[in-house]
Amino acid sequence: MDILKIRDAKDVEQAVQAAIAAEQPLEIVGHGTKRAVGQPTATNAVLDLSALNGVTSYEPNELILTVEAGAPMADIKSLIDSKNQEFDFEPMDTSALLGTASLSGTIGGTIAAGLAGPRRIKSGGARDHLLGVAAVSGFGESFKAGGRVVKNVTGYDLCKLIAGSWGTLAVMTEVTLKVMPKAEHEVTLVLHGLDDVAANRAMSAALGSSFDVSGAAHLPQSAFRGAIGALASLGSQGSVTLLRLEGIGASVTHRANSLTAALASFGKADRCEDTASQAVWVAIRDVTPFAASGPLGAWPVWRIVCPPASGGAFGRELARETGGDVIYDWGGGLIWAALPPSADAHAGHLRAKLAAIEGHATLIRGSDPLRRAIDVFHPHSDGVAALNRRVKSSFDPRDILNRGRMTLVPPI
Amino acid sequence: MSIMMPVPDQAILDRRSSIVAALRAIVPGEGVIDSAAEMQPYESDGLTAYRQPPMVVVLPDTTEQVSRVLRYCHDNGIKVVPRGAGTSLSGGALPLADGVLLGMGKFKRIRDIDYENRTVVTEPGVTNLAISQAVAHEGFYYAPDPSSQIACTIGGNIGENSGGVHCLKYGMTTNNVLGCEIVLISGEILRVGSKAPEQAGYDLMGIITGSEGLLGVVTEVTVRILKKPETARALMIGFPQVEASGECVARVIGAGIIPGGMEIMDKPAIHAAEAFVHAGYPLDVEALLIVELDGPAVEVDELILRVEKIARDCGATTLQISNSEQERLLFWAGRKAAFPAVGRISPDYLCMDGTIPRGKLPQALARIRELSEKYGLGVANVFHAGDGNLHPLILYDANKPGEMDKAEAFGADILRACVEFGGVLTGEHGVGVEKRDLMPEMFSDIDLAQQMRLKCAFDPQGLLNPGKVFPTLHRCAELGRVHVHGGKLAFPDLPRF
Repeated sequence: MDILKIRDAKDVEQAVQAAIAAEQPLEIVGHGTKRAVGQPTATNAVLDLSALNGVTSYEPNELILTVEAGAPMADIKSLIDSKNQEFDFEPMDTSALLGTASLSGTIGGTIAAGLAGPRRIKSGGARDHLLGVAAVSGFGESFKAGGRVVKNVTGYDLCKLIAGSWGTLAVMTEVTLKVMPKAEHEVTLVLHGLDDVAANRAMSAALGSSFDVSGAAHLPQSAFRGAIGALASLGSQGSVTLLRLEGIGASVTHRANSLTAALASFGKADRCEDTASQAVWVAIRDVTPFAASGPLGAWPVWRIVCPPASGGAFGRELARETGGDVIYDWGGGLIWAALPPSADAHAGHLRAKLAAIEGHATLIRGSDPLRRAIDVFHPHSDGVAALNRRVKSSFDPRDILNRGRMTLVPPI
Repeated sequence: MSIMMPVPDQAILDRRSSIVAALRAIVPGEGVIDSAAEMQPYESDGLTAYRQPPMVVVLPDTTEQVSRVLRYCHDNGIKVVPRGAGTSLSGGALPLADGVLLGMGKFKRIRDIDYENRTVVTEPGVTNLAISQAVAHEGFYYAPDPSSQIACTIGGNIGENSGGVHCLKYGMTTNNVLGCEIVLISGEILRVGSKAPEQAGYDLMGIITGSEGLLGVVTEVTVRILKKPETARALMIGFPQVEASGECVARVIGAGIIPGGMEIMDKPAIHAAEAFVHAGYPLDVEALLIVELDGPAVEVDELILRVEKIARDCGATTLQISNSEQERLLFWAGRKAAFPAVGRISPDYLCMDGTIPRGKLPQALARIRELSEKYGLGVANVFHAGDGNLHPLILYDANKPGEMDKAEAFGADILRACVEFGGVLTGEHGVGVEKRDLMPEMFSDIDLAQQMRLKCAFDPQGLLNPGKVFPTLHRCAELGRVHVHGGKLAFPDLPRF
């Protein structure tokens, strides 16, 4: 295995050009923490961007950050934390789920994976916060897209496409992101003992209110089998439904009281606040109930996205049919499912069921052989699949970048 | 017209009557318009400086018809210009002499309202405002609110990635759409996204939004709706210098306050607006800042105090706080009417749309003043100050020889300055024909080639809305060529491990 360690953005261009000439596909990695996501890539050459790790500019008053793609998330987070700011899309740290070293991962990998956390329902995903990008395409050309301002419609919005493309379209070398001030105060309302469908209704009611809910999750009792850390304190009496309110003090208190009253028919809500609340949402964001080190560590894990109001019934049935465990985020719009091992990790069954509710599922954790055998990413209709292949070719006609990572049968 | 459009294809024009007949076979009755008089309303969009009658207008009312029209045009090499309500300020719907103008105005039905999932599924010809009105009785609304919202359609909003006063806090169109049905130029009908909060695979919705009608024709849209905030109040703050108002905006944002809207008007804009709507604007200030805060009353009250303090620290000389919904709307009335108000004081005006980093506002204003003197043309400024989006209105008289050219040159210089200050050519109006030839100010040939390659993935013959967005057209075969460098010498000087 060739590992090519990049020193600067120019190196990336040169490496991709050389790869084109040598007809040598490249696997693009930062810290490599998410290499086990996707179809195993068809390459033996790795382009390592971890040395491309500088901060180009940070303007807290503009709420804008420009960093090189290989910059460690841990460093970036502490940098913006020093100005009391954060990424509003609450990017997931996959280390607990995938069993990699904690606090690792780069900003490039984070954007390429596009795995947004609980606040996505209010603030959007990685794609909504990526304002500009400099990258090298599979043509071996350095290009930029977007800009360094929040409001921009100049040319196609290539940033949207690159966020969540798992390194298959271009090698990002620098990204410009929107950052936001942290909330002054947060309160989480905790409802106890609701089944998945009732919890879904409670979350829909909360998200359909004017109380500006920034997190809506449900953990069935089964999620506490191996409960660790922050979640342990919540689950002793059974399932919990969590609704987060953030903002300035008086407003959060007012909204918490109003929402408690509005949801009275679902039971009496407890509260947890600030540090305790933050810890709970980090655990949900990072899916710690299914941690690699936990009791379900050997089970494949699916990330299912569906219309939020369909989530509760869907997840409950899926869990019952497969004997698996589920937890819900995004008011039911995101279901994490750890399913007992089987030949296809229940992919066929799961996706057939999802067709009825227009949802989709991605295998986030699965063994190498499993990921060689099934579609890791949700298969598209023929027309959309063909369009996606043309889009891929428009960035990377020789299929040099992360070949085969998003498609079971490589294109061409 | 001072902009070059693709040269009309005489062979196509020669076949006009058979093309019209073929289109009539697809869209019967009054859905095909070919008389000069009836086509006149379609000659121009909101950028009225440019006019061009189309070859023929087609107004389909089903997805199937759209598909058949596009397939016919594709098979026969005929150009197509999609159009919503025709409110584009950048000439996005400017017709082509040898092109079919595809009007989507008959797609007027809201198909599904789903409060549980907080979504609306609608046809593209529904106006932006009509979506909010359809859900208002349940206290919901659709957040993006371009000033033209009473007329502009959601399909056009997708094309342009429209913004509005409230996008500072609630995002642009792209942040508020979940999915669509789109017809490619080949006639193929695709579904992208759904009511789910995120799409599978590549974010095609993200690329379709803001593509200015160059990638496909949207025939159905799924948008997110939000519950209305409990309350909203506005502050109207006067400053003796424009720079101080800019500083105030930067400090509000820097303090972690994201208002629902934050707008600046300069003195000429204030005077024009006040004369037009009598909103009670102070006339002795150089800049007026309107800050709207929304949310629960306790939050709004608290934030008003914080903004008030920041404003006073920045040297505000007048400050009013709305105490009723009527008063809040009055504060906004002048701002919302700023364009027509300026239209009253000048025979013509050109509305620019650059974005700059917020902190560069004072420099940008100084530059606009210099340019105003250089060109000898007046300018009134309104800004979406919270997100650095400038709307300088250049005042001119099209009847005076050469003045329109001078206004356009002035506008181009403003946009060049925006790029120089680290900003962009357009914040919300789109590139269209208006800013097309300025694209190289912001993008290299390679940057533009990459965008055009994506266009090729959707429309390899370049039949959809040619002459917009890209200053020069290239063949897809040429764009798709890979230049192989350096022979077989793999990875020459990279360290290996």
